[in-house]
Amino acid sequence: MVGIVIVSHSAKVAVGVKEMAEQMSQGRVTIAAAGGVDDETMGTNAERIFAALQEAYSPDGVLMLMDLGSAVMSTQMAIEMMSEGQQKHIKMSEAPLVEGAIVAAVESSLGRNLEEVNRAAEAASKMRKIL
Amino acid sequence: MKTETIELLSTTLKISNPVGLHARPAALFVQTAAQFEANIRIRNITRDTPFVDAKSILGIMGIGVKQGHEVEIEASGEDGEEAIKALTELIDNNFGE
Repeated sequence: MVGIVIVSHSAKVAVGVKEMAEQMSQGRVTIAAAGGVDDETMGTNAERIFAALQEAYSPDGVLMLMDLGSAVMSTQMAIEMMSEGQQKHIKMSEAPLVEGAIVAAVESSLGRNLEEVNRAAEAASKMRKIL
Repeated sequence: MKTETIELLSTTLKISNPVGLHARPAALFVQTAAQFEANIRIRNITRDTPFVDAKSILGIMGIGVKQGHEVEIEASGEDGEEAIKALTELIDNNFGE
């Protein structure tokens, strides 16, 4: 199953989104949180993201979901720390963080591949919520 | 020569759990539907939505099923009957809540 890494400037946001997504996937999908410079300081940290990436990695692939700005740059750095062979199975997503994580967790739990999981997560940005 | 006919099965159900087909119940619904080979579609009768793929979480969340809404589930394929049965049970048991 495709693993998921949640990257946020806030450690609490990353852990919270991970918990929400895990509820949806019934614990069937590995979801790792990488938020903050450390647990107290806002920002992003490539080393933390790298650790989360290693936790979530399998040859099925890993989808990286980021909040904003430097989260993207730090995620790129973390991916470059992985081996070249592993990097082919890691994808950064344009998906919105919360909605994307929830959709990705469910789609991954159904056994869909990395491309399919990312496509669904990115489409979450167009999902109507006020009906 | 044997002709195979694929039967299209359909059922109408009322959703009675408080959050409707959202969050965890929506995920459970999709995960249950995905266990079957059959093509399964669902539409929200109350809102008169088109049918969406029952194996897509975006599809399910997009038809906005709330408590008290009626949905129609359609299945075609060899295990369509079991699929309808499993999804009906899930809804009747209020998603185990």
